[in-house]
Amino acid sequence: MPKFLFVYRNAAEMDMAPPSPEVMQQILAAWGKWLEQVAKNGNLVDGGDGLQPTGKMVRPGGVVSDGPFIESKELVGGYSIIQADSYDKAVVFAKTCPIQANGGWIEVRELAGYA
Amino acid sequence: MIVRNAIGAGLPVRHRPCVGGLMPEAEKLVEHFFRHESGRLVARLTASFGTRHLGLIEDVVQTALLRALSSWSLRGILPDPSAWLAKVARNLAIDRLRRDLRWNSLDAQAPVEVNDWHDSFDAAEQEIDDALLRMLFVCCDEAVPAESQIALALRTLCGFDVREISRALLTSEANVAKRITRAKEKFRTTNVNPTALTPTMIRQRLPSVLSAVYLLFNEGYSSTLADRLIRHDLCEEAIRLALLTAEHPLTAGAETAALVALLLFHASRLEARLDDAGSVLLLEEQDRTRWDAALIAEGFRWFSKAAAGDEVTRYHAEAWISAEHCRAASFRDTDWNRIIRAYDLLVRLAPSPIHELSRAIAIAERDGPDAGWEALQAIDAGRLPEQYHLWAATAGELARRRGRIDDARRFLIQTQRIAPTNAERELLQRRLELLQAQ
Repeated sequence: MPKFLFVYRNAAEMDMAPPSPEVMQQILAAWGKWLEQVAKNGNLVDGGDGLQPTGKMVRPGGVVSDGPFIESKELVGGYSIIQADSYDKAVVFAKTCPIQANGGWIEVRELAGYA
Repeated sequence: MIVRNAIGAGLPVRHRPCVGGLMPEAEKLVEHFFRHESGRLVARLTASFGTRHLGLIEDVVQTALLRALSSWSLRGILPDPSAWLAKVARNLAIDRLRRDLRWNSLDAQAPVEVNDWHDSFDAAEQEIDDALLRMLFVCCDEAVPAESQIALALRTLCGFDVREISRALLTSEANVAKRITRAKEKFRTTNVNPTALTPTMIRQRLPSVLSAVYLLFNEGYSSTLADRLIRHDLCEEAIRLALLTAEHPLTAGAETAALVALLLFHASRLEARLDDAGSVLLLEEQDRTRWDAALIAEGFRWFSKAAAGDEVTRYHAEAWISAEHCRAASFRDTDWNRIIRAYDLLVRLAPSPIHELSRAIAIAERDGPDAGWEALQAIDAGRLPEQYHLWAATAGELARRRGRIDDARRFLIQTQRIAPTNAERELLQRRLELLQAQ
């Protein structure tokens, strides 16, 4: 079955007030429910992980710069790997992901499977 | 409504191997886990680093919670989420403090104590309760106005954000932010070390802490404008804080037990006191089967604790009144003799025309509307500027019962004009329509 990388992206709006603790718990519950739905029929390969907001950018010539990457208007917040029969099926899962309720979106990429 | 376990929002999940790092559906975090963890962490960090760093502490607690959200969303909740949060928040706080110190090396009085709870992330519940209690006493500093005390307690101890507090207290976000900022500014310039509060200081401050908790409860209980969820949350938080004082060795005693009993009795009627349209129902109109029997039972347990010893406080008198109502199977079964005795006690311990007004209503129930009217006339209504509408409403009702329909109408119309809330105006409208039918 083809595997898909789900890349969770959020708008990098620094001045946006973060959710309150109560709302954070609601968001967490929504994610738990969603991943459980995905996992129910064996479509979840790897829940993946969240990513820290800062990082390092390494460019040719050994040029290392610190993130956050101000030039981009979005932040990659995390990733998961999901398997599905087709792109369409994978997109169905992506459509119900709670990230959209909080202004984020998902990039869905099929793994090439060269290995 | 969770009451008993609300304080130690401690360890909500057990470790069990689960596929793909996901928590099975059943192993959810306890209700309000994030909010209560926020309160526990702010209290613990403030106990470690003092109030001067309150702003920084709130920042790092928020960051820790956000990291938890981002990681647990995908990997599932960790076996011991409280300990994880404590470790992350504490490390963040120390990093930030070190950085600030480097920026401001003159500030040598603010040593970063790295070893305080370094090895005790799994601090005993008692230690955490101690930090929470002390934080509550910090919030209720005499130098902070009562309304700021409540906003600050909701922010720091209960984990509400400014928007939620403004919804709960029915005031603007800007107003809430202002109240909190002022209080925090005071604590920044005059550092308070919560662990340095002596037992004597705590005993001295207890009355103002209890009245803040009572006020907080009333915000939730009396408001009919705020939505039901947030009203419940406020009442629940007030009970949580009252239990904190009643169960802590420094503050446990008859007075705190009486307050807990009082709040539990009131809370038992929370659902029954509004109809589906959100209008206030009087005691006699309420469906008593909707009163929460578990809360009443718990209330009586605390009421008997409050009765141990010689101390009698205004909370005893109020809890007694409430207990009598809870005891009565129906409005007709109410023991007005005992209720009037309880009001006598209340008026003696906490003189107030509002209490006298309630007493006059009880007298009307026991001895008839003429006696009630007499008791009402004995009250100096001029001492009731803010709540004068309650006096006029009572006068209208008693006049109706005495058959003085014109007087009744006059009082009710007058009341309707000055009643502060819609729910009250609707109640008065119902009364007026009843009058037309007579």
